[in-house]
Amino acid sequence: MIRALIVDDELHAREELQTLLEETGEINVLATCANAVEAIKAIQRLRPEVLFLDIQMPLLSGFDLLNMIDEEEMPHVVFVTAYDEYALKAFEEKTLDYLLKPVEPARLRKTVEKVRSALKAGVQPRYETQTLNKIPCLSANKIKLIDPAVVEHIHSDLSGVRVFTHEGSFFTELTLKTLEQRTDLLRCHKQYLVNVDHIDEILLLENGLAEIKTRCGRQLPVSRRYFKRLKEVLGF
Amino acid sequence: MTLFLELLQEMSVFLVIAYLFSKSPAFRSLTGESLRLRHKVILYLVFSACSILGTYFGLPVQDAIANTRAIGAVLAGLIGGPLLGGAVGLTAGLHRFTLGGFTAFSCGISTTAEGLLGGLVHLYLVRNSRNNDLFSPSIALVTTFFAEALQMAIILATAHPFSEAISLVQVIAAPMMLSNSVGAALFISIIRDQKNMYDKFGAIFSAQALKVAERTLGILVRGFSPSTAEQIADIIREETGVGAVAITDREKILAFSGMAADHHPPGGPITSEITREAIRNNKVVYADGVNTPYHCTLSPDCPLGSSLVVPLRIDNEVVGTIKLYEPKHKLFLNLNRTLGEGIASLLSDQLLRARYEEQKNLLIKSELKLLQAQVNPHFLFNALNTISAIIRKDADRARELLLHLSNFFRKNLKRSGDLATLAEELDHVNSYLKIEMARFEDRLTIERDIDPQLLNLKIPTFTLQPIIENAVKHGISTMLEPGVVRLRAQRRNGQVVVEIEDNAGTYCERIKRGGLGMKIVNQRIKNLCGQEFGTQVACEPNQSTRITIVLPEGGCETT
Repeated sequence: MIRALIVDDELHAREELQTLLEETGEINVLATCANAVEAIKAIQRLRPEVLFLDIQMPLLSGFDLLNMIDEEEMPHVVFVTAYDEYALKAFEEKTLDYLLKPVEPARLRKTVEKVRSALKAGVQPRYETQTLNKIPCLSANKIKLIDPAVVEHIHSDLSGVRVFTHEGSFFTELTLKTLEQRTDLLRCHKQYLVNVDHIDEILLLENGLAEIKTRCGRQLPVSRRYFKRLKEVLGF
Repeated sequence: MTLFLELLQEMSVFLVIAYLFSKSPAFRSLTGESLRLRHKVILYLVFSACSILGTYFGLPVQDAIANTRAIGAVLAGLIGGPLLGGAVGLTAGLHRFTLGGFTAFSCGISTTAEGLLGGLVHLYLVRNSRNNDLFSPSIALVTTFFAEALQMAIILATAHPFSEAISLVQVIAAPMMLSNSVGAALFISIIRDQKNMYDKFGAIFSAQALKVAERTLGILVRGFSPSTAEQIADIIREETGVGAVAITDREKILAFSGMAADHHPPGGPITSEITREAIRNNKVVYADGVNTPYHCTLSPDCPLGSSLVVPLRIDNEVVGTIKLYEPKHKLFLNLNRTLGEGIASLLSDQLLRARYEEQKNLLIKSELKLLQAQVNPHFLFNALNTISAIIRKDADRARELLLHLSNFFRKNLKRSGDLATLAEELDHVNSYLKIEMARFEDRLTIERDIDPQLLNLKIPTFTLQPIIENAVKHGISTMLEPGVVRLRAQRRNGQVVVEIEDNAGTYCERIKRGGLGMKIVNQRIKNLCGQEFGTQVACEPNQSTRITIVLPEGGCETT
């Protein structure tokens, strides 16, 4: 059985696709998600092999979601959309397949076939990703989209990944690794990413360690491992 | 006494000159309200000639000349002011001076003085806003009388020897003062009558032209068709009193009104060569029936004998002609000829306006088509997807949704008129919303607050649907939280106000820039209901977007 995840903001669309997928007898629908944030969590938790992804969704589109998935966790992606205004044929090479709603069972069987052979061949799905221009964060009961340019630093610990701005800190479902890969934020410590534009000064300590003081007056540790790279970027 | 009669005889020559002058093109100089330099030069030449003739026609009396020279100088002053009067007086005076005699010098001065006196009276009258009196015979009479008296005084004062002067004045004073004054009065009355005739003629002409303009105004806006052409032809015939009026397009007679209508049936082809010539060359063709014969090509018994053909133009392109006819026994009045050309240019302007209106209407129609075509494929396929999912779970609900979908599309396609009742618009919107509510389920709630009294109100079609679609598509569908669309319609401050509000507040910028079909909705309301009505946008980012549609209290009516 192929482990699948459905992401679509419409209840009926999710249910219909789930029914159709289960009717093929080859797909195990692990979960259905109504938006990109739920999907990020589910992907990290359930590690699906294939993602059936709607494009038009509130706040974050299907394309946005792809940019937020860790490379190692990246499942195969099948776009499902009502109307092909994105000229999905152009994505054919990058995505495994695409389906048009309402989905025809016969067409769906072909897609499942494709997924199965891709998995059999052991191809690691790679999608061309772009720089993130918004980081989805939780703020009270809302999802807040934060522009990486206003982020001062990001800190990861047992409680999760927190994005710090001058307004405060917000939890995000994205991993530090994804954020490092898809934004201009720089790793300065195993648990920290920093925005170089927000650095006020760097204090040099013994043992090749350092400490960053940000413009907001926060102090961030710099580990020996990442100091070299930081110096290169800053040009000293 | 003999001298008086002889001077009167001489004066009659002046009256003949005055009469001829009043008929000559030079007289046009006097018909305007104010005199320009060119006109003054003409008047100077005419009156100087009069004055000099007055000297030549004069009778030798005691080594002097009894004459009617004063008339030209005084009238020039009266009509044209001191400068003109002085110039004429000086010219005639110098001329008299060259003829010699013991009064040569006195007469030279006095004629100039007479012209200036006329000019002073002119100034006095103008300053007291009595311009009409410039052409008053009695004022001319009195002025000339005193001018001649002045001349007598100058002769007495300056001519030598004094004894001869006094005996001369005794002989000529009375006849000259009388004949010159009467002559000037008669001269000016001829001029006045002729001038009045010109004025009256002009007034009649203007009145007629204005009447035609007033009556035809707006008819052609409905387009250039046989029925509008017929109305126009009737009006022109009634107002100008010509024998018959025809209006043609480029190929056929659209309307014919008046004599000989029996054999000039509307709808028939243009047979007259002069009409074809007018269309071909884009110029006025006139067959006066004398030099250029006019022959009716349709019937040998046609009573019409002369014709004027004026092309009707839109942007200098001939679209038809207007023809004025007079019967054989009647002359074609010059007045009607000018009027005919004026009317044609007036109608051409109206046709241009009609074309503009027509294009504006086309624009409204194409805007409507645009709105209809905006039904977006996303909506259709998502609707079909939703329904196909619901069929599994609830066939009845699925059937209901299909009926809504079909109602929505039927309304979209069928609605070709400009206006519909609010109830019809709401029905259209309701079908749309029913489908979107099924699609978004608990993410979309609709709150309605419609004043039932407004349901029969006429509003432009496709006013609500595009705006509600914006609220759902660009508002609610982009929210993670539950969305609410509020739809209100009520009377407020003598207007009908329809509000569509969503709690997303996500498309402020785009809608304020006039995108998303709002521009068309707004423009259609303005075109169909009046410029003061239309849409307003109020939004608070991430809180709400509210579109307010303001409509006339009594709804919109097609005009």
